[in-house]
Amino acid sequence: MKISHLIALLTVAIALFAPDLVLAATDEAARVLEGAPKPSRLDYPVIAGISARKLAWSMAQMHLFLAAFVLAVPLFAIATEFMSVVTGDDRFDDMAREFMKITMAAYSLTALVGGGLLLSLLVFYPHLMGYMIKVFRGQMLIYALLFGLESITLYIYFYSWDALRRGNRKWYHMSIGLVLNTVGLTLMFIANAWTSFMMSPAGIDPSGAITGTVWEATRNPLWNPLNLHRFLANIAYGGAIVGGYAAYMFLAEKDPVKKAHYDWMGYTSNFIAILGFLPLPFAGYWLMAEIYAYSQQMGITAMGGILAWLFIIQAVLIGTIMLAANYYLWSGLMRTDRGAEYAKYVKYIAVVIVGGFLVWVTPHTLILTANEIQNLGGTHHKILGPLGIMPAKNTAVNLMLVFTFMSFQLFYRSSRIPVVSWAKSGNMIVVALYVVGITNIVGAGLYGYITPTVYKVGASVPQVVSTLTIIIGSVILDVFMLRGAKSEKVHWGRMTERSQYALFVLPVAFTWLMGLMGYIRSSLRTNWHIYTVMKDNSPENYIPSLRDAGNTITAITLGFMAIMVFVFWLSRLGKTIQKGTTAQEDAT
Amino acid sequence: MLGNKWVVFAVAIIVWLGVFYFIDKSIMETQGLPVRTNLMPK
Repeated sequence: MKISHLIALLTVAIALFAPDLVLAATDEAARVLEGAPKPSRLDYPVIAGISARKLAWSMAQMHLFLAAFVLAVPLFAIATEFMSVVTGDDRFDDMAREFMKITMAAYSLTALVGGGLLLSLLVFYPHLMGYMIKVFRGQMLIYALLFGLESITLYIYFYSWDALRRGNRKWYHMSIGLVLNTVGLTLMFIANAWTSFMMSPAGIDPSGAITGTVWEATRNPLWNPLNLHRFLANIAYGGAIVGGYAAYMFLAEKDPVKKAHYDWMGYTSNFIAILGFLPLPFAGYWLMAEIYAYSQQMGITAMGGILAWLFIIQAVLIGTIMLAANYYLWSGLMRTDRGAEYAKYVKYIAVVIVGGFLVWVTPHTLILTANEIQNLGGTHHKILGPLGIMPAKNTAVNLMLVFTFMSFQLFYRSSRIPVVSWAKSGNMIVVALYVVGITNIVGAGLYGYITPTVYKVGASVPQVVSTLTIIIGSVILDVFMLRGAKSEKVHWGRMTERSQYALFVLPVAFTWLMGLMGYIRSSLRTNWHIYTVMKDNSPENYIPSLRDAGNTITAITLGFMAIMVFVFWLSRLGKTIQKGTTAQEDAT
Repeated sequence: MLGNKWVVFAVAIIVWLGVFYFIDKSIMETQGLPVRTNLMPK
């Protein structure tokens, strides 16, 4: 190994494993011992009656939607590209490229909206931005630098696809993709540091005077829970959006070969969306647990205060996602000739998914009139009341996840006939795993009703682990049992048109959900710009009514969906050749 | 074939019960919540 390589490796190792050494060493001189600014109401510019909060809110949310999408797609594009190398199947490569093509159309919009967000923050919240710049100092410049690097690697990655398609060159191409993803993730982690710092500030004293390094402010208590949550959510979101694209193209195409391609793309996208979605509730629990650990007041504002009702809407949206994803999977059984054999199980899965959905949306405390309380005999319903607390909801969500996985497994098995001698016994081992695992999930839920709160909360962890054990155990057993299995033909394209609308439901519900949950997370700061450190004295420093919040989130969601339809249309336009002109090779 | 499939099923149920019991017990104890204790108020 050359000495220069050794030094580079050592530098990377230090930066990865001891970032304090790199980031904190030269920061001592940058201490600012004055507190955070205390702007009065008059310090907030009022321009042409524009609602500063709604403008910044819309810009931030729109930027996040687009950024989540353009960050996630290259992640699974490179994974799909890698699949093409491993399997030697060019279809994976073509699909990875098509994923990237949609990203390219959305990338400039991401930057545009990001610029709009920055401007609206600088114009309407200059004191806050001034303080944030003091806290994060050079990191903001690094962010700008990385953004430039991401643009360069993104363009090189996409436009070099054909030039670096075969042999060793393919590995160069994937290396560029790896750099692109590393830079993209770093950008997200940096932006998350700023967001989470506003919720759980670190590296400053109670008055806001900067006492620590940039790294201390970065690794604040909520940084990593937010990193994990956003990372998984982005994968699920990106999958859902490209699934919507595949459905759009499936419905628009007339050629059966192309229809088959987009059906396959839709299936893969749905798979990616659910893959990211399955562990998401657990990441969400971790984030909420850390919020409670950091500030009980903040946790109670979220789960027990004005924002608690939004969690019921969250349950409705997640239930919608589960139902849509499962419906799509059940429809997919018609792609295989043996699918009908498995269709008989669908009704049982549907009962569990719908039942879980109903349990999840059952509120604990009802908003009732005096008359209704009298008729009900109290504020809680005698039979349904117990379903309003967490043990019931944890049980419901875990069962929904297990049965969603089962829908995947049924489709996967419908196109494979095992040839190993122990196939029947193997099936029994899998069935026993499901039976015991589900019993354990239900048992841990019931245990929560007969034990003190601390046990109730503690018992939710074995439920999560049971779900993961069922999924991972089944996958491992299937890998061995279906080794060398006889493959049945999958008739890609043999799907109903209505099943494609389930793929449209997913991105809409995901977008709405992200807008809603992002609003909750941000509102936890109540009337603080930076929680307990810098007060928000602007005219709009209150939590809006649920109606106002709902309307704003819905308007942003509709705006984003309009942008996505435009992006899909652009992608299709790029492939359209005018009649009568010489047919050219599709350059995109 | 490992034997009668129902025998395999019964054995698998017992094995999985053991696995899940071990998982539950170790997770609860890691959280400082010993199982099999009398939780009724004294």
